[in-house]
Amino acid sequence: MTFPKNPILLVLACWLTSMAASAADTHPPLLVCYPGGAVNEQDAKGAMDALLRVVERVGQWPQNSFTSQFTVKADECKRLLTEQRPGFAITSLGLFLELRDRHNLVPVVQPKIHGRVSDRYRVMVRQGKYKTLDELKGKALGGTVLEEPAFIGRIVFAGKIDPAGFFKLTPTRQAIRALRALDKGEIDAVLLNEQQYSALGSLQLAHPLEAVFASEDIPLMGLVADGKATTAEERARFAKALEGMCADTEGKKLCEMFGVESFVAADRAAFEPMIQQWAGGN
Amino acid sequence: MSGCATLHRKAVPLGQASDCSPDALDRLSARQDDFGPLTDTRTLECALSSLRGSHDTALRRSALGGRLCLYLAERNPDPNAREKLAAEGVRFAEAALALGADGDGRVHYYLATNLGLAVREHMTLAVENLPRLESELQRAVALNPDTDGGGPLRVLGVLYLKAPPWPAGIGDGDKALELLKRAVESHPEHPLNHLFYAQALWNLDEDAAIEPVKRELALGMRLLNEGSWDFNRNSWNEEFMQFQQEIGESGR
Repeated sequence: MTFPKNPILLVLACWLTSMAASAADTHPPLLVCYPGGAVNEQDAKGAMDALLRVVERVGQWPQNSFTSQFTVKADECKRLLTEQRPGFAITSLGLFLELRDRHNLVPVVQPKIHGRVSDRYRVMVRQGKYKTLDELKGKALGGTVLEEPAFIGRIVFAGKIDPAGFFKLTPTRQAIRALRALDKGEIDAVLLNEQQYSALGSLQLAHPLEAVFASEDIPLMGLVADGKATTAEERARFAKALEGMCADTEGKKLCEMFGVESFVAADRAAFEPMIQQWAGGN
Repeated sequence: MSGCATLHRKAVPLGQASDCSPDALDRLSARQDDFGPLTDTRTLECALSSLRGSHDTALRRSALGGRLCLYLAERNPDPNAREKLAAEGVRFAEAALALGADGDGRVHYYLATNLGLAVREHMTLAVENLPRLESELQRAVALNPDTDGGGPLRVLGVLYLKAPPWPAGIGDGDKALELLKRAVESHPEHPLNHLFYAQALWNLDEDAAIEPVKRELALGMRLLNEGSWDFNRNSWNEEFMQFQQEIGESGR
């Protein structure tokens, strides 16, 4: 039995692979890039394939109509985007910002979680041990979101900190492992996203934690499209299909299991400050 | 499995029973621990055929039905038949529990393994059943951790290794590593214990763990190739190859 380890992106990926097939049948239907993801590519493909069969049934497409491509390697993602020019892709926000100019990427849909379409990152420490971010200079920072230090530096820390130079970065594949290490005093801080932060109450840690830094709101990333390889009509069809996902019987189960309330058309204005911040980081 | 909503209800035909030993049923009770991954397929089919026609409460309360179905399902190349056999194994185990077998960890183990096999190709059904799989395997670990070569430790470890991690799911690399280490230490003879322990080590830290990962992988492959695992060799070998490819692709 296999399970994806990047819930939201993979739910989206599984659903969208089917939609993309008919929209751009001369290209790979959907490229899923999950830089630094803990998921085994074979497992991810297996899970997505299984889910695609559900999608085909619900969408009344012939069985085995659709395929997808998945990679956890940022370089592989860039190569596939260049060589195969997929019409649609699921990427991290960092990859979107890095590649948007080269591949004419535009946001199409975003997930809504706990009523929000934005994320917020927090640096957590053991209560009372550090009072400010400055006190963490040279200290060990863990977390699952450290695989893209440029994104963390330019967007999460708004260009004020170069994480690779400021912290001793100790990326971990699972947030719970980083939090246990923090609890034991093996590392000094953990960077959490909103979903992880909200779930802290479900853990039994020996020491209470507190945040010494919280980022501004950062839009949740979902599906992007190559604005030149797809038409406005195709992108609209995608958006419409996704907006109905969480209302579908099978789709609803997937949405619920990963805490996604719905998928909504991307608020492009929300991405503009990110784009500017990213450019400023150069 | 229409719509992935429920498990199969129809049993798989097992062929002619005429070539099965006429006293098979009488011997089932005494021999049930003999049936395992090394038992030939026809013997398992005869035993299952006898059990299907039996109303012996003691047999029905045992783990035998689940055990027979699991080993037949695992080696069946037809996905539909595999799911039907596994679903039948779930029903046998549920019936055993209803008859008072709650204290038998083997019943919980075969319930969980059959359930996992029945739903693994159906993602939503699989995730829906995660809590049940976890609780049944926890009972099996507590009651009979040595069943099937450390099977409860191995399968619960794999469940924690593969499930979506916190906060989305029950996945937990630390728990996986602890259980799979116990499985390797208590049952070093089982090839899969080494494969999954290697995967847990890899999951923990690819950079630091490459040597022990390679060591466990090599040991598991040697056990698979040299042992009497004829009925599972191909499918298990494929799992070894996939993992070997994964660690090879990392550039090491």
